[in-house]
Amino acid sequence: MSGHDLKLVKTFEYQRPPIDRGYANQTLYLNLASLDIAVRPVTRQMKDLFIGGKGFDLWLLWNAVTPQTRWNDPENPICIACGPLGGTPAYPGSGKSIAATLSPLTGAVIDSNVGGYFGPYLKFSGFDALEIQGRSERDIVVYVDGIDQTVQIFTATGLPEDAYKLSELLTEHFAQGKPRNISVVSAGPGAQNTYFGCLNFSWYDPKRKRARYKQAGRGGVGTVFAHKGLKALVARWDSGISVDTNRPADRERLKKVAKLHSKEIVELDPKQNEMAIIGTTHLVTIMNDHDLLPTHNFRYGSHRQASNLGQAVYRRLFDPGYDGCWMGCTVACSHGVRDFVPLSGPYRGRKVFVDGPEYETIAGCGSNLGIFDPHTVIELNFYCDAYGLDTISVGTAIAFVMECFELGLLTPAHTGGMDVSFGNRASALEIVHQMARGEGFGRIVGQGVRRMKTIFAQEFGADPKIMADIGMESKGLEFSEYMTKESLAQQGGYGLALKGPQHDEAWLIFLDMVHNFMPTFEQKAEALHWFPMFRTWFSLCGLCKLPWNDIIPQDNQGTPEPAKVMKHVAWYAEYFSSVTGRESAPEDLIRMSEAVYNFQRVFNLRMGFGRREHDVLPYRAVGPVSELEYESRAERYDKQLGDTCKVDITGKSTAEKLALLRRFREQQYETLKDAVYHRRGWTSDGIPTLATVKRLGIDFPEVLAVLQANGVAA
Amino acid sequence: MIRVAGKEYPWRAGMTVADLLREYGDPESCPVVRINDHYVSRPNFAATLVPDEAEVFLIPMIAGG
Repeated sequence: MSGHDLKLVKTFEYQRPPIDRGYANQTLYLNLASLDIAVRPVTRQMKDLFIGGKGFDLWLLWNAVTPQTRWNDPENPICIACGPLGGTPAYPGSGKSIAATLSPLTGAVIDSNVGGYFGPYLKFSGFDALEIQGRSERDIVVYVDGIDQTVQIFTATGLPEDAYKLSELLTEHFAQGKPRNISVVSAGPGAQNTYFGCLNFSWYDPKRKRARYKQAGRGGVGTVFAHKGLKALVARWDSGISVDTNRPADRERLKKVAKLHSKEIVELDPKQNEMAIIGTTHLVTIMNDHDLLPTHNFRYGSHRQASNLGQAVYRRLFDPGYDGCWMGCTVACSHGVRDFVPLSGPYRGRKVFVDGPEYETIAGCGSNLGIFDPHTVIELNFYCDAYGLDTISVGTAIAFVMECFELGLLTPAHTGGMDVSFGNRASALEIVHQMARGEGFGRIVGQGVRRMKTIFAQEFGADPKIMADIGMESKGLEFSEYMTKESLAQQGGYGLALKGPQHDEAWLIFLDMVHNFMPTFEQKAEALHWFPMFRTWFSLCGLCKLPWNDIIPQDNQGTPEPAKVMKHVAWYAEYFSSVTGRESAPEDLIRMSEAVYNFQRVFNLRMGFGRREHDVLPYRAVGPVSELEYESRAERYDKQLGDTCKVDITGKSTAEKLALLRRFREQQYETLKDAVYHRRGWTSDGIPTLATVKRLGIDFPEVLAVLQANGVAA
Repeated sequence: MIRVAGKEYPWRAGMTVADLLREYGDPESCPVVRINDHYVSRPNFAATLVPDEAEVFLIPMIAGG
């Protein structure tokens, strides 16, 4: 046990309201500077328009900040919300928390959907959302005790720095003998010293008798958390949760639909992707086979050693057993590695339990770095979590550095003597340790790809033009781990995503490239309307999207719209109706999301983003940057130039063909933008029209003022 | 004999995944199949032999990210 001390500085007693149809109907406000604690009502309008979860976060943020607010200003809040369906144990994937704040990477709103028990425990303790403003010079622990109906603020000294030790200690400290009643949210030293800190949300695993973790990874929400002086949030609730805990409007209707979906997953997951055994690791070789697995900073989509990182390996390495990050989930994909022994860093030589890796971490910290050793990936996964670092941004940022090093834009003189060539496992690990310590070259890498491009150009004299092409960020956020060069729809999925290139908004690669479901611009635009809307809906409700389309009904192929898995969409409408009592059909779910989605676009606009000029991609995401890349897939590119562009390539050099292809593909992306903006009811500059905001009921005076200020007149 | 999507199906020497899907009458809907614990993607269908007594799962694979 560490020599820690928690000193109680504020206690706030409250009356816990009964949960009604999935809502506590109030939010909790904290200010870390003034130590103010307040309970605020959830209005009818909030529920009608913003639903919950991410919608509530956005509304709280909108009211807390001004266009001048920056990520490190005290008024920038961290908001964490569940959602009206969150906390239902019978329906698979129903325990998500959604964290949101102004991002240190993008300056706009970032939201992250994460497992673990915190969100449901917060709601059952009486709060649909938590909003934290202010900043403390002292380390702070906030404790929400739903059983004793108190909120307490502690100043802390001597607590462990890393998330694993900290969560373990605080779980034991507050558990009163029942560790499953506790969920801890924490960041770590990496979050403090970089711009892409993540948050670890814990859930207690009674079989393994340890706290387990899921990460709210993207956009630096952990950095904001650490900057505020927050060491941890702790929620306590009685883990004896049933379908009745949400007090659904129609209990029997809920039980019926929950049973249908849960039973189907139990029956079909073993016949499909076995996510209950291997998580998302099956994607590694599948992506590789389809030339979609990023390798060497997104240069290529496959590598002969990719199977070293595939499911066959992790099937052996994962510790067998139930791994649901929420109670009763039958997808249960949150696997981990027992008795792993790191070869570097503060845990060197000691056995640890590692939560993960998932596909994104394997691709980001493995293949994209030219590292095909599963043990190094696990070690990078472990330290990123322990330090509070987003594995996706870490992977994409180091991949950029490695390519710059290989191109001679960086030398050992810039990296503190390190050889950061692709495949250098020791250097990748050392950069992560340096990020956590806020030292050396790692401190620069931890500022993210966008800032690195500026630093490398201004301080190291690197060529900004080539870095603009190969630095894989958009809107300031590092790309998640899919190749988009051959899927125009997925280029839109990343480039038009509100928060930056994260696949949770639209993942259309397989539908576009493999199934060819959307050959025309109009069809792509329709997909880039419907899919982001439906995916947004999961974060409004406190849900995981995996049960929707990662386990497919056997009769799905014969349905009119197989890509949408409408049988499951109908079940979700039934689920929503049965809990909230708000009778909803599938198209109503899309409309719910559309209001929140457009509101977020206007929010971006209010913060100085959210126009066409911001929906840009580095060319590496669109096509081959170098002659080497072109020549590696010359048949494909030559064919496109000949068949689609009607260019006679006879006698043309690779450099000439590269330039022609680039002109064509960049134009394609601009045409796609036009089609999508039109479908979404936006202007050609990417701004929601007045008619759109009125149709969606978000035509508040403040929204209209933002539109007017940006040239969208009444 | 092999099992395909839970049902018995006759096996023959030299049968590839591409052959099997063509004969099974469903060559396009599955970009991925699983043979026991081994995943095979469409680009490799023609080059992958189906072993006798294999359990073959047809994976619709429309999601991922």
